[in-house]
Amino acid sequence: MSLATISPTLPDTATKTDDAVLPATAPVLQLVGVRKIFGDFAAVDGINVDIKEGEFVTIVGPSGSGKTTLLRMLAGMESPSEGYITLRGELINDVPPDKRPTCLVFQSLALFPHKTVGENIEFPLKVRRMAAAERKARALELMRMVRLPEHYYAKNVMRCSGGEKQRVALARAFAYDPDVLFFDEPLSALDYKLKKVLEKELKDLHRESGKTFVYITHSLEEAMVMSDRVGVMSRGRLVQIGTPEEIYTKPATRFVAEFFGEVNSFEVRRDGQGGWILGDGQSITVAPTDEVIGDTATVIVRPETMRFVTGPSTAGNLITGRIYNEYSLGSRMQYQVHSGDRIYLVEAARAAVPGLSSGDSVTIGWDARDAIVVGG
Amino acid sequence: METRSQIRARAFVKIWTAFVILAIYLPIICGALAGLSKGRYFGFPIRVFSTEWWGKTFASLEIQSLVQNSLLIAFIVTLVSVVFAFFGALAFARYDWRGRKLFQKAILLPVFFPQPVLGLALLLWFNALGINPSWQTAVVAHLVWIVPVVTLVIAIQVYSFDPTLEEAARDLGASRWFILREVTLPILWPGIWSGALFAFLLSWGNFPLSLYTAGVDSTIPKWLYSKMVAGYSPMVPALGTMSTLSAAAVLLVGGLAIALVRRRQADA
Repeated sequence: MSLATISPTLPDTATKTDDAVLPATAPVLQLVGVRKIFGDFAAVDGINVDIKEGEFVTIVGPSGSGKTTLLRMLAGMESPSEGYITLRGELINDVPPDKRPTCLVFQSLALFPHKTVGENIEFPLKVRRMAAAERKARALELMRMVRLPEHYYAKNVMRCSGGEKQRVALARAFAYDPDVLFFDEPLSALDYKLKKVLEKELKDLHRESGKTFVYITHSLEEAMVMSDRVGVMSRGRLVQIGTPEEIYTKPATRFVAEFFGEVNSFEVRRDGQGGWILGDGQSITVAPTDEVIGDTATVIVRPETMRFVTGPSTAGNLITGRIYNEYSLGSRMQYQVHSGDRIYLVEAARAAVPGLSSGDSVTIGWDARDAIVVGG
Repeated sequence: METRSQIRARAFVKIWTAFVILAIYLPIICGALAGLSKGRYFGFPIRVFSTEWWGKTFASLEIQSLVQNSLLIAFIVTLVSVVFAFFGALAFARYDWRGRKLFQKAILLPVFFPQPVLGLALLLWFNALGINPSWQTAVVAHLVWIVPVVTLVIAIQVYSFDPTLEEAARDLGASRWFILREVTLPILWPGIWSGALFAFLLSWGNFPLSLYTAGVDSTIPKWLYSKMVAGYSPMVPALGTMSTLSAAAVLLVGGLAIALVRRRQADA
C-alpha cells in the first residue's frame, strides 16, 4: 500500500498544476519481464512488478533466489539480459549507477575506512562540488536525522560500533538525495536486539522522508515489520507479492507458507464431491479459495491456529494423538503431537495451556478457515 | 609455573636470536670500523682510529658524481616503477581478466632470473639496438627487475582492498577519476609507499645490473667493487658505511611517515 492510498487527504498534485505531473500512484520503478542470465543459468527469471512512489517494498527469498542480482540490476551494477526497468517512465536498463538517482546501502555498508564519519556522509556532496561549509551543515543535519551525536562528525568511521556504522551508511545514502533507496540486507550482521531497534527506526525514517525504499533480506520477520508490500522470491521468480497480511494469511504456494517458519502441511487430493481427503482417506475441511487448483494440493495449517480440545468443539477438524515433545518459545509453548505416522505442531500461549506433558493423549482441532489450500 | 622445558626453550630462543643478530651485524660493524682506520691498508686490529678517510670521501668530487648518479637513477626508477607497479598490481590482484594467471606468473619470472645474466642480456640488447650504455640504460635495466618486485609489494595491499568501496563510490555519483583520487589511492597508499621505499633501496644498492648496463657512468656499488678489485683505500668502507646509513635513514623516515599517518587516522 503506498502512502498516497493510506492518506486520502493528501493533495493530488496532478489536478493542481498545469504541468503533466505523474499522479501520485504512478509507479516510480517498473520492471517488465526482467531476466538476468549468467552462462546458462537464469539468476533472475522474469520479474514483473510496479513499485509505487513512497512505497516500502521488501523482497525476501533464500540465498541463491536471485534477490541480490535483482537489486544490483535496479541499482545499475548489472544490466538485465532481457526485459525493461523504467524509473519514472524512463528506460534505465543500461544507465550506470553514478547516473541514476538511486542509492544502494550495501550489506557490508562499504563505508570508506580512511575517512571520518563526516567525510563519509559528505562524500556525495563533495562529488557535486558543494562548498565545505555547506557540506558540513548538511552532514550535521543528516546526523541528527539518523540520531548520531554531533561530536561523531570528526570520528574515525572504523571506530564506530555496528549500529553507528549502520546510521552513517544511511546518512551517506540520504546525502546523495536519491529518489529510491535500495538496501541489501544491511542489518544482517547485527545482534537481534539492535536489529529490532534499527528496523523500527528505518520504518520511521521511511515515513518521515517519504522516499521509496526497496529492501532485500532473507528474513521474512524483518520484511513483515517494515514493509508496505512483501515480495517472495524463489529460483529467480517472484512467487508472490502483497501486503504482509496477504502473504501471511493467503500464501500463494507451499514455498511461501513454509518460508514463514514452521507450518503443518498435508498433501491432499480431491474426494470427488468438492472436498479434500488426506492420503489415508480421512477427509479434511478447508477454507474456500478462488485459486485454480488441480486434483492434488497442499493444505497449510499454522501451528498457532491449532489448539487442544477438551470436550465438545466447534473445530472443523479434530485429530487425536499423543504429545511427543514440548518446546518453550518464551511466551509461547510448542508441542509436537504424533498421530499415526503424521506429526503435528501445535502452538499456544503459555498461560492458555493446561498442564500438558510428553506422553499425554490429546485431541487437537483447527477451524476450516485456518486450513489454507495451496497448489503444489 | 614454568616447567624446565619451557625455561630451556626460552633460553634457546634468546641465544639463537643473539647469534643471528651477531652474524648479521658483526661484519657490517667491522666494515664500518675499517673506514675509521688511519692506515692505508685493510687489516685488523685497527691501530689508530681517525676520521681522515671519511673527510676525504666527503671532499672527493668523484664520489659526489657517484652519489649524484646513484640518486638520480634511484629517483627515476622509484617514480616510474611505482606508476607501472600500481596499475600492474591492480591487474594482478583486483581485476579478473583472461590471461591474469599467466600475467601473475610472467611478472614473477624476472625476479628469479639471476641478475648478472639479466644485466648481460640487456647489454646485448642495447648493443643490438645501437644504444650506448649510460646511466639511462641502467634505469631501464633496474626497472626490468624492480617493477615486478614493487608490483608484488603493492599487490599485497590490493588483495585486502574491498572492491565494493569503489562500487559504493560510483553509486554515490563519483566519476572514475574521483574514485581513484578519493577512495582507491588513499586506501592503497601504505602499499604504494612501501613499494616506493623498496624501489628506491633496491636501485640504490644494485650492483650487477649497473655493472653491465651503466656504461662509463658509475654508481656507488659499482665504484665500491672496482676499488675493491684494484686501488683499495679506506674510502671504500667509509663510502659503504655512508651508503648503508643513508639507506637506513630512508627506511626510517619512510616508516615514520606511515606510522604518523596511521596514528592520525586512528586518533580521529
